[in-house]
Amino acid sequence: MKKYTFFFIFLVALIIGLMVTFQFRAVNKAAQGVPASRDQELTIEYRRLETEKANLQREINDLNSKLAQANKGQKEALSALEGELDSAKVAAGLVKITGPGIEITLNNPQASAEVERAPTLFTLRDEDLLRVINELRIAGAEALSINGQRIVATSEIRYAAPFINVNLTRIVPPYYILAIGDPEQLRAAMDISGGVVEYLRELGAAVDIQTSENLTIPAYKGSQP
Amino acid sequence: MWVGVWALLGLLLGVILGLYVPLFFPVAYAKYLSVAVLAALDSVFGGIRAAMEDTFDLAVFISGFFSNALLAAGLAFVGERLGIDLYLAAVVAFGVRLFQNLAIIRRRLLKK
Repeated sequence: MKKYTFFFIFLVALIIGLMVTFQFRAVNKAAQGVPASRDQELTIEYRRLETEKANLQREINDLNSKLAQANKGQKEALSALEGELDSAKVAAGLVKITGPGIEITLNNPQASAEVERAPTLFTLRDEDLLRVINELRIAGAEALSINGQRIVATSEIRYAAPFINVNLTRIVPPYYILAIGDPEQLRAAMDISGGVVEYLRELGAAVDIQTSENLTIPAYKGSQP
Repeated sequence: MWVGVWALLGLLLGVILGLYVPLFFPVAYAKYLSVAVLAALDSVFGGIRAAMEDTFDLAVFISGFFSNALLAAGLAFVGERLGIDLYLAAVVAFGVRLFQNLAIIRRRLLKK
């Protein structure tokens, strides 16, 4: 019994020493460390920030999708505007155009054995070209050119003796008139009896009409007003 | 006299172990441990008093030591859960008994 007493006293003393030192260390550490209440506060703060972060993330996604939509809309608007610009350029004659149409060659009367007529008696004048162009326009020509000069809204066909000016450029016979449009319709407008072609032929001018499936009319070369 | 040597030896070893064991007691439980320490100290003083009165009983001492410590820690724990500072009851009760025991030991020593 005496031996056990020693042992238990020893044990109790050991436990007390352990407890006291543990407590000492815990208190010391608590003084330096984070108090329990602060810990809780920080946890709450952390949770709050987490939810806030999630909300902001959602907002980012939302705004990103909106931005993408806006970009898509902008792209569509841009392509629509570009299409409009392209058709406007075609209408204004600023681009080269290719398509089916007719090719008319006009030349001054040539002296020959059958027709005894002086070459200078009749020459093609600006009015003749204007009438041909006018007929072609009313027949639905989309694009016109004379000797490589594109006929646009501001183009003039003017007699500047002894030449004709188109787009302020001097042109000489033979005159090649290109017209893009429905070839049959254009040809019919030219061949109509009593029309401008018959009239010119009567006066002795050489008129040749060719339909073509693949004509290329150059762009307007002058400066844009 | 040998008992005292053993007790001092145990205390020293406990302190050394406590200081150098790389184990950390969670700070949240420091309150419980502190009340348990108080209860244990009360038991020790009670034991010393009993030894002086020659009524020391090892079983009583050991059971008192552990049950007091556990009860004090348990009170603190329950109090924490219920929102009442029940550990104050343990502190007051054991504090009072501590001083009583100390007073009796002092008187005994002075009477001798």
